[in-house]
Amino acid sequence: MLEYAARQAGRLALGLLGAVVIAAAVSAVGMPHARGPLPFLAAASHRLFDFVRLDFGHSAISGLPAASELAANLPATLALVGTGGFLAVLVGVPLGFLFSISSARRAAAPMTQLVTAVPVFCAGLAIAYGAVHLLHWPVSVNAAADARIFADGAFPMAAPAVLTVGFAGAAAVQLALRRAASLSSGEAFRTGLKRMGLSLLEIERIYVVPRVLAGLAASAGEILLSLFSAAVVAEWVFHRPGAADLFVKSVALEDWNMAALIVAVFAALTLLAEFLGRIAAHAIAHGDAP
Amino acid sequence: MPAQTISPSLARTLLRATGWCGLGLIAIAVALSDFLARAPAGAVGMGAMLEAPSADHPFGTDLLGRDLLSETLHGLSVTTIHALIAALVAIILGGLAGAVAARLPRPLGQSARGIIGVFAAVPALLIAIIIIGLSSRGLAPLAAGLAAAPLAFVRAFDRVDTQSSHAYYARASGIAAATLLRRDLIYEFRDTLASVAARALAAVTIILSTVSFLGFGATPPARDLGLMIAAAKTTYLSAWWTASFPAVALIALIFFARMAAGLEEGERP
Repeated sequence: MLEYAARQAGRLALGLLGAVVIAAAVSAVGMPHARGPLPFLAAASHRLFDFVRLDFGHSAISGLPAASELAANLPATLALVGTGGFLAVLVGVPLGFLFSISSARRAAAPMTQLVTAVPVFCAGLAIAYGAVHLLHWPVSVNAAADARIFADGAFPMAAPAVLTVGFAGAAAVQLALRRAASLSSGEAFRTGLKRMGLSLLEIERIYVVPRVLAGLAASAGEILLSLFSAAVVAEWVFHRPGAADLFVKSVALEDWNMAALIVAVFAALTLLAEFLGRIAAHAIAHGDAP
Repeated sequence: MPAQTISPSLARTLLRATGWCGLGLIAIAVALSDFLARAPAGAVGMGAMLEAPSADHPFGTDLLGRDLLSETLHGLSVTTIHALIAALVAIILGGLAGAVAARLPRPLGQSARGIIGVFAAVPALLIAIIIIGLSSRGLAPLAAGLAAAPLAFVRAFDRVDTQSSHAYYARASGIAAATLLRRDLIYEFRDTLASVAARALAAVTIILSTVSFLGFGATPPARDLGLMIAAAKTTYLSAWWTASFPAVALIALIFFARMAAGLEEGERP
């Protein structure tokens, strides 16, 4: 286990270094003297050195340090991703297990394909439509909602964005579970255990469920990627200030220092989730994760 | 025939066949879009403003009186053509490059896997937005393909690396790496090419339409479905048809591509 964890930690360190290099390259694009391959390489190296010294430059839009700009916006995005992720696990895990049963999987296959084929922005707009017409919430997709409207709490303002992120996350969670179950269903140990006299339920509970959960844990990075992508769309659709929304605005206005920092942070968080997921998967499946 | 009597392989084949039939119908609609559409792309004033679906305008009209049936057909055409270009880029630089990298000498292949793996840790949507921001919106299909490529590369690499017991025996019996690579490309990649292509088509369509929705994709007058839906944001809460029909066309394209890829079994082609 320790050897595995050390190997994964090494991968994480290299991944984080790579993320910083990418961010330095993106940040160098905005430098006026970085035209041509050699000046660009020099600018990227210079930015990499700055990043190592934790100098992330200034936002071209606000003029504030990029790090403090990110610190002001990141908590909102992390809260959105966190609550959306919780919802995703709450909905996606039971669905994933249900659809992993072969008869249910075949029957539900077209329906799950249809639901997961809905792009996140379409889901967001559909949720907004439902919130307005069915729940009569004053949700706006054209301008930032006025917080004063919600005298009895911020729930109606936050719920559509959380539901949108949760929808995307649930699709990723159930897909990861089904994938792990699909891999486990072909394993030779099932036949062997059946011949040894174990009931189907015992085999599922003792051997299959841990492997499927390990598969889910191993997909943590992939699930977080889908949550971040959904957060970009949800913040844009529902006009919620956050790091994901800031990223879109930064690229549109060519604020490359800000965009680079946000990409680096998202990549670092994804790599960290992947690392923790792999360790958890290794522990759950006793070194035999699918 | 009751559902219980259908064998898993038959069910899978049926789903894939449905997917390919759906993609075929979309291809026909795209090929005949100029003929089927009642108005050229972007033609304003074809009807009253925000007219509900009727016999004259089956999908209704938008804020500028554009016929939404015609606009949806033109938008589907733009989206599909862009998605095909992007899928081709993703397959070559992702799936194919990953399969080739897995057969390179181990240190070289693992280094490539490590470098590309970092890009795979950034959401593809963000990569696409950065590439478009650095170049131009006209390059959105290329950007979507490049954005989808890292994940496809990593999956193809891992797939070859983990499922190639024959490689061990080939190396042990002295077969050259180049011969093994050629064999893999001819047999393994060829056999999964249809699934890989359909899967890539679904993935890049989502990326392309999302970047267009966020304002980084297609530019008027060549509106794709993402841009149409973005434009309908101002009206769809009171005129549902302005966003619904383009959204249904977009979802149909992704749905059929996913069905054709056979993802219902949790496969990773």
